[in-house]
Amino acid sequence: MITPSEAAKPIDHVFRALSDPTRRHVLERLSRSPASVSELAAPFNMALPSFVQHMSILENCGLVQSRKTGRVRTFEIVPKRLKLAEDWLVRQRALWEKRLDQLDTYLITLKEK
Amino acid sequence: MALWKPDPKLDLVLERVVDVPRELVWAAWTKPEHIVKWFTPAPWTTIHCEIDLRPGGRFHTIMRSPEGKDFPNTGCYLEVVPNERLVWTDALLPGYRPSEKPFFTAIIALEKQGKSTRYTATAIHRDEAGKKQHEEMGFHTGWATALDQLVAHIKASVH
Repeated sequence: MITPSEAAKPIDHVFRALSDPTRRHVLERLSRSPASVSELAAPFNMALPSFVQHMSILENCGLVQSRKTGRVRTFEIVPKRLKLAEDWLVRQRALWEKRLDQLDTYLITLKEK
Repeated sequence: MALWKPDPKLDLVLERVVDVPRELVWAAWTKPEHIVKWFTPAPWTTIHCEIDLRPGGRFHTIMRSPEGKDFPNTGCYLEVVPNERLVWTDALLPGYRPSEKPFFTAIIALEKQGKSTRYTATAIHRDEAGKKQHEEMGFHTGWATALDQLVAHIKASVH
């Protein structure tokens, strides 16, 4: 028997990371070459701490990795992780997870009525 | 004992516990006015739903993409045990007539757990061909489409 709650975890984080347009833009940029935080942040009209938070979400789920040279932190993409999100069944799972999330939220609102 | 055996390469088993009575969970799966509220992952929507709740009965939904394109889905209930088990498939049309594009069978099993309900949603898929067909039908959530583009883009640049 599959235990879905456990099996779904890493990929849930990947999908959550990918659900944000800023983070998708960053990944597209990183697909061309590694880049520093300031290079990556440049196109966005966003406070640096918020941007750094986006980067840590990407890094925590394994889509990117970083190393620090002196005072400059450079990010690069981890293609293997993205491969995970590409898989058909993984996408079906994400779809069902989202559907059931909506159901559970809806059920709670029904109960409260 | 369950008749079906999930194949980890093709099938999904999702288990949830939700803090509402079982009757409410059953209603959410079997009444059109509820289905339209949650059935399709946003930003897609379910704009129409018809249910004839009995074995052989019709389960019909129309899903609308964020671009406004409509995708009708027609299935047939196989098993209806109130508050316990709901099984339907798109391999059969209402009245058990075989369909043209069989893709999946869904089993929803409900169990009382104190004041809460444990439910298991199982999606049994046909095979690789069925998967492809489903993708060609355009059944992607908005972000999945965006994701496909992103994956293609990144694969092209990395290799």
